[in-house]
Amino acid sequence: MTTYERAGRARGRVRHGISLAALVTAVLVVIPLAGSAYTLQLATDILTSAALAYGWNLISGFTGYLSFGQVSFYGIGGYATALLVLHTPLPWYVAVAAGGLLAATAALVIGPIMLRLRGILFALGMFGLARILGVVFSDWGYAGGGNGMTLPAELTPIGVYIFAALVALAGFGLSAWVARSGFGLDAMGLREDEEAATALGVPTTRVKVIAFVASAVLPALAGGLVAWNRSYIDPPSMFDPTIDLQTVVFVLFGGIGTVWGPFLGTLVLMLVGEQFLVYFPNLELALFGLVVIVTVLALPGGLVSLSNRFGRLLRPVVLAPAELPDAAPPLPHTTAANMVPVLEVQDLTVRFGGLMALDSVSFVIDRGETISIIGANGAGKTTLFNTLTGFIPPTSGEIRFMGRSVSRVPTFRRAQLGMARSFQIPRVMAAMTVWENVVLAARHGRQGRRAVEHAAWVLRTVGLAPMWLDPVTRLPPGHRRLLEFARVLALDPELVLLDEVMAGMSREEQENVRAVIRRLPSLGVAAVACVEHVIAAIADLSDRMIVLDFGRKIADDVPSRVLTDPAVVRAYLGEPQ
Amino acid sequence: MNSPILRALALLAVVLTPVFAPPAKGADAPIVIGATISETGPLTVDAGYQVKGMRLAIDEANKQGGWLGRKLELKLYDDKSDPGTAVRLYTRLITDDRVNLLVGPYSSGITQAVAPLINKYRFATIEPGASLPDIYVAGNKWNFQGTASSLQYLDELMPIAQQHGAKTVAVLGLKSAYSLACYKARLEQAPKLGMRVVYQTTYSLPQPDFGAIALAIKNAHPDVVVGCTYYPDAVGLTQALHDQGFAPQFLAETIGPVEAAFGKAVGKLANGIISNTSWWYNYKTPGTPAFIADYKAMFHEDPDYHAATGYSALTVLGAAVTAAKSLDQEKLREWLLHNQVQTLIGVFKVNADGLSTGFTQHMVQIQNGAIKLITPPDLAEAKLLVPYPGT
Amino acid sequence: MLALQLLVDGVLLGGTYVLIAQSLNLIFGVMGVVNLAHGSFIVMAGLFTAWFTAMTAASPLLVLPIVLLVGFGVGAVLQPLLLERLVQHGRRAELLSLMVTFGLDYVLVELALQVFGSNYVSVPYLQSTFTVGGVTVSKALLVAGLFGAALAALLHMGLNRTPLGKALLAASQSATGAVSCGIDVGRMRLVAFALGVGLASAAGVLLVLVIPMAAESADSLTILAFVIIALGGLGNYVGVAVAALLLGIAQSVVGFYFGGDAENVLPFVLLIGFMAARPQRFRRAA
Repeated sequence: MTTYERAGRARGRVRHGISLAALVTAVLVVIPLAGSAYTLQLATDILTSAALAYGWNLISGFTGYLSFGQVSFYGIGGYATALLVLHTPLPWYVAVAAGGLLAATAALVIGPIMLRLRGILFALGMFGLARILGVVFSDWGYAGGGNGMTLPAELTPIGVYIFAALVALAGFGLSAWVARSGFGLDAMGLREDEEAATALGVPTTRVKVIAFVASAVLPALAGGLVAWNRSYIDPPSMFDPTIDLQTVVFVLFGGIGTVWGPFLGTLVLMLVGEQFLVYFPNLELALFGLVVIVTVLALPGGLVSLSNRFGRLLRPVVLAPAELPDAAPPLPHTTAANMVPVLEVQDLTVRFGGLMALDSVSFVIDRGETISIIGANGAGKTTLFNTLTGFIPPTSGEIRFMGRSVSRVPTFRRAQLGMARSFQIPRVMAAMTVWENVVLAARHGRQGRRAVEHAAWVLRTVGLAPMWLDPVTRLPPGHRRLLEFARVLALDPELVLLDEVMAGMSREEQENVRAVIRRLPSLGVAAVACVEHVIAAIADLSDRMIVLDFGRKIADDVPSRVLTDPAVVRAYLGEPQ
Repeated sequence: MNSPILRALALLAVVLTPVFAPPAKGADAPIVIGATISETGPLTVDAGYQVKGMRLAIDEANKQGGWLGRKLELKLYDDKSDPGTAVRLYTRLITDDRVNLLVGPYSSGITQAVAPLINKYRFATIEPGASLPDIYVAGNKWNFQGTASSLQYLDELMPIAQQHGAKTVAVLGLKSAYSLACYKARLEQAPKLGMRVVYQTTYSLPQPDFGAIALAIKNAHPDVVVGCTYYPDAVGLTQALHDQGFAPQFLAETIGPVEAAFGKAVGKLANGIISNTSWWYNYKTPGTPAFIADYKAMFHEDPDYHAATGYSALTVLGAAVTAAKSLDQEKLREWLLHNQVQTLIGVFKVNADGLSTGFTQHMVQIQNGAIKLITPPDLAEAKLLVPYPGT
Repeated sequence: MLALQLLVDGVLLGGTYVLIAQSLNLIFGVMGVVNLAHGSFIVMAGLFTAWFTAMTAASPLLVLPIVLLVGFGVGAVLQPLLLERLVQHGRRAELLSLMVTFGLDYVLVELALQVFGSNYVSVPYLQSTFTVGGVTVSKALLVAGLFGAALAALLHMGLNRTPLGKALLAASQSATGAVSCGIDVGRMRLVAFALGVGLASAAGVLLVLVIPMAAESADSLTILAFVIIALGGLGNYVGVAVAALLLGIAQSVVGFYFGGDAENVLPFVLLIGFMAARPQRFRRAA
């Protein structure tokens, strides 16, 4: 069962999409004309809730940062609108829009702080923020304090309805765009595995903050609309944590991280909830809870995943052409400084408290070289890689890549400049297809401008072309290693850092990997460095071997001399008794 | 078949169903009175009393043939103590259920949210649950206050305390609509009487622990401690003051102490606590003994002032309908603005903005497990016990 | 004297927090389950205790072991029913467990509302105070704080000294590693959750001695527990105990000088402040 849509159906989908749009417009038009004021109010409430749901889905669904405090922006929008309406001659819809803008600004400031956290801590932090804002506003006399403010009564609710419909549609549209765009792919990658995404050149902080800002505007607009609609706001209703919880339930039920999920979840649960409210008032909470439990246990992907089983509402594969093109290899880069070493490491030291993980390590990798780095366990090999790629800041020392200093350059930027690494355990992104994993890297590498062609070329070269649209979950483990390689190549790197790629492989698989390593220079890679334990598999491929022992470099020479060096033997086997 | 289309059609069907509601009722049809009440959520206890008072009033009116020869029917929804839900449900009552008359919900917060709607749809509505005066200001034409203003809560306390020689006051306020108004009113009252406010704080529920606040109060050693509270904070404050070993000369809290559960919660500490009420069982208002007896017969418990307030709202509404001989909202409004109605809880009388000018609040005190009316002097059941024993 | 009083009050308050937080620490640490229903277990136990002691005039401390066992049983039933099935989803399990317990929270709170009503209740047990060295101590707070701390200490010792406890710790640190040592990780999850719910229920019995509780208190207790864990360090039992105590003291001091609202938002201000200042403390090891 595939949850992805074959790229070729795109044309049919467009027609489908237009008729759907017409239908939605028709429904939206009919409601105010044929329904009562109550129906209009209910529809407006559903639309504002849908806007909230789309906002939440952007940061929590697509980007994977669960927030329990989006109501902070809802309240900011509501209060901004109220204050502007009461104290300036601005018309209400401008005030609402201004509230959205204000929330975006606030998100730009708050985001970088909050987004440093992961998981439940981010959720908690946002929740705390909403709580704090509630207290602040209840103390702020100018904004009515604990008593709130009354706005002039809205005599034509149709205005609110139209604005709400527009906001909800904007949320839908934005989500639909995100789901198909490179930005959305970055967000998905970040959600799947933030560190791996960084290593592939995704500017994760920027992506997170943009998603966060976008996810702040929608609730702010909703809050402004509600404030105007009800003609009254106060802190408890504007910073009500139940709104967040409700939003979460709606999106989860509909299908988190999908385009249709927020709308479907909101629609169904609000209508159902409304009926329960009327006929079974005392049981509503419990039934709500049961809905959540059953959904999670039986259908964690929500309504959308149910639809998927019938082949509907499938997620389109991002940036996928109708067919995999027969692309040419990338043109070699004309580097003026062809004589500059690819990598220069000078006195690199990494200290963790009292532990010296790397002690004044220095070496050089020249163009065309394949280096292997060996050493006993705990010698510092992976630390070296992590420091080279920027995951760990060095205590002192200098790293120069292609002649420029990268000691202070963030990881993703190093990847973009051409320093690519693979991980010991392949960290491929399971919720995406093979194609998407590769094109994600291609977009940020040195072939970014022709990412699609380059990704196609990489897949064909590596041998993954037949399964380019397969979800990663279907790949056998050996192919996952290949996919790691493909991603590395997709960056069009100068330097490839391979971290124990032979680990756990059979002879045959090792041969495959060795073949790829041998080919790397012909694929445009300037230099290769491998950390390895399986020395036999790497010795004949290496021009030089570097040996680390307790963080210090103890050998740096051709393999034949290194492997017979008594110091190296001692490092591996210890002192003779 | 295109499932999104099917879905949209389903949506259309569900959404438009209320449109095809039964047509307007004929002349013999019952008069439908609509309201929401907080059946779930934190406000349930007091809201429950208010609704029971309303039900009793309707039941009695029906036994006497109803109003204008038509029986009365109550259409009630649960607003979950949530203003947004209340707004939506009142809209439904008005536009879909097409009720004839409306009564307000419970609590100032929810009433405040619903008030603009009432004004928009022009329904002359008695608000039994909103003591907050802010609703009844210029521009409000259709909301009529059905209870004493929160500004009056415990307003008789400080003058009496002053006569006993009290000079300093500590004021606490729960951050809800009515209690903040009460809090501010007490803060303003003190200096006018020449008393000094030595400590003040506001707080929200849930309040983790009153220990630190009680210690701060003890540190300031006021003669009078006034809490504009709800129920759990009244309990918490009482216990915390005791834990810190401080007993002011006068300890007063709103709403909480009058609840039956309060005495069980704080035990002996309740003795001597002062509170307020807008109705008491020995009020010499007509119908009070009958009300108490009938309420007890119908609900097997004693009524409290919320029940009396709910009941009185219908008394007023009934008087207006009967006098105006009509269900026309404009006529009802005119009548309500210019007439008085004697109710259980006093005289209903409003100014041009709907603010109550007739209802009053009086002091009660818990004495040996029973709540006694202390003011006004001609209705008092007991003398004020001074000082607050605190043990 | 004032300082000492504030300190004592704060420590005792912190003592009531410790058990609330540690019980969640066990669940979150060992299972990675974001138990949003945690507060509802606490509240159910508290409401039950209030009702029971009102009916039978029994001492709430007698109820404590019963409630603990019942809580354990409830947890043991709920875990395989609702949570064990989520483990298969790997990295998404945290989100899904959050959702399931969120739904469970709604159900339990509604149950509490139906059975016990929405009233606030408290147990007027040991209402007296005693003064020592100029410091007034409420007996109820003392008992609650001491018992809470004692149970938390027992948990800590149990985790570090008994084979079962060490197995639990192993499972929380590395499921794969634990399995390869022959530990039945599935059973560990069951035990952790059952124990966590049992201890949370015990915390409820103690808490209702000190503050009025109602069905609606559930969510704020859950949040409080999570904040304390965040401040103290997930899975770090000593850290969480210290954080609970320090938070109690901080709330006491802040409440005294700045009033009720400040005391209320303090946990969040601290959390956000810590996070902004030293984010590396909060990164879960990759």
